[in-house]
Amino acid sequence: MTTTLSVLIVDDDPALLQALPQALRLRMGGVTVETADSAAAALERIAVQDYDAIVTDIKMPGMDGLALLAEIRTRRPDTPTLIITGHGENELVVRALRGGACDFIQKPIDRGYFVAALYRAIWAHVQNRRVKDRQVALECCAGELERILDGLERELGALPGRRAP
Amino acid sequence: MPETATEHPQTAVADPGAAVTAEQRLRAHVETLERRLRKRDEQRRAMLHIMGDLSEFNKRLANQRKAMLHVLADYEQDRRRLAHQTERLDSSRRALLHILQDSHQDKLRLEASRKAMIHIMGDLRETTAEMQRREQELRDKQEQLVQAGKLATLGELTTGVAHELNNPLNNIGLFVGNAVDLIELAVTEKGQIVRELGHAMQQVSKATEIISHLRTFGRAAPVSREPTSLRQVIERALSLMREQLRLREIEVTVDLGPEEPVVLGNAIQLEQVFINLLTNARDAVAEAPRKAIRIAGSTGSGAVEVSLADTGHGIPSGLEQRIFDPFFTTKEVGKGTGLGLSITYGIIKEHGGTISVMSPPGEGATFLIHLPLAPAGTKDPPHDDDAERPHR
Repeated sequence: MTTTLSVLIVDDDPALLQALPQALRLRMGGVTVETADSAAAALERIAVQDYDAIVTDIKMPGMDGLALLAEIRTRRPDTPTLIITGHGENELVVRALRGGACDFIQKPIDRGYFVAALYRAIWAHVQNRRVKDRQVALECCAGELERILDGLERELGALPGRRAP
Repeated sequence: MPETATEHPQTAVADPGAAVTAEQRLRAHVETLERRLRKRDEQRRAMLHIMGDLSEFNKRLANQRKAMLHVLADYEQDRRRLAHQTERLDSSRRALLHILQDSHQDKLRLEASRKAMIHIMGDLRETTAEMQRREQELRDKQEQLVQAGKLATLGELTTGVAHELNNPLNNIGLFVGNAVDLIELAVTEKGQIVRELGHAMQQVSKATEIISHLRTFGRAAPVSREPTSLRQVIERALSLMREQLRLREIEVTVDLGPEEPVVLGNAIQLEQVFINLLTNARDAVAEAPRKAIRIAGSTGSGAVEVSLADTGHGIPSGLEQRIFDPFFTTKEVGKGTGLGLSITYGIIKEHGGTISVMSPPGEGATFLIHLPLAPAGTKDPPHDDDAERPHR
């Protein structure tokens, strides 16, 4: 993760939008943190930028975290999304995980845990992307090999004295 | 005597002496007769005099008789009048007798009544003592009920409040953590650390305010009456409910007009009234297409009227009278205690006010509270500088 990472934090509490980005900046060097105070504002940002991770509060007026998660899964299916929940809101956690959240963070937020979860999510995302890239590359290679194989077979068949199988 | 002179006339003629004697006798006789005559004449005159006197007397008598007749007539009249009066007196006497008899009866009856009254008074005294005991008991129970209601309200508020409290606590952790990180990273710029800690302090104040408000609200304090600003009461109630209303996207508007209505009452109890009404409104608008609660007030002479209207489904017709009954609830089992509105009703009544509800079909419910203003000259309520504006 050498390149600059970008993270979007979505919460309706202005104090949290001050504290959490600062914590990330201090603990994750070189990360760019952007904030949105509502799900609607977050969707506007997502439309113009592909973030490495999105962190959203689950309880928000208007569109809540779960609805935002569903939107993100539609618009940016690869972007890992972490959900912030209150303590003991297990039902919401399960719904979020089923809805495609890659992890959840309970309030009060443990910064170490939060940074670790975010790292892991981004790492997994990057790994996924790398796997996909490699898969694409491998598919390309496989195609190339297929073509070479086809060519070789054709050349082999054209040799004099060789009977067709 | 005349017989004597005439008896012997031949004797006088025959005898001259005898004649002289006879003459003498005759003369004497005449003298006697004259004397007698004179005497008779005197008697006659005396008699005449007497007769005159008698006539005079008779006249006077006649006059007196006439006068007497008048007197008699008067007397007769008087007598008749007297008889009449006697008759009247008699009937009066009889009436009086009746009255006296009645009075006696009355007296007897009065005596009996007095005795009965004494019994009743005794009973009444006992009943009054019993009533006072019951009243005290009722007052105690009511206070307990109010306290129970407050705790029930607090219980209902807990989820929202826990969330509200969790946020500043979480933020404090983050800000302080950032400050620790800055120190550990040996950041020389103090300003950045101080800023983080300043933010943390702000969040501490926020949490402290919530907790102190909850403690004040839940405290079983003796109910006192003080000049209380209704605006502050409503704002404080809203501050406890804010998070719940905000998360449910319920639009709240407050318009109490330019006046500052001050009522003589208990701020905590009045706050409970608005929390109960807001809780009901919150639940009522849950499924409504438009979620709004409007609190409006107008201050008139001597009284303030506050209405709290929601855009919910309203109250089913026929239940308007029952909703203030204790333990009456239309909410699902386990969702409501059915105490909120009955406690609200009790508190408003205790404050000398009234509460009613209007719920026209197809519209939300509107609760109307009418409270007497504090008499002029009472001390102004303490200004609550910490009261936050709860408007979204």
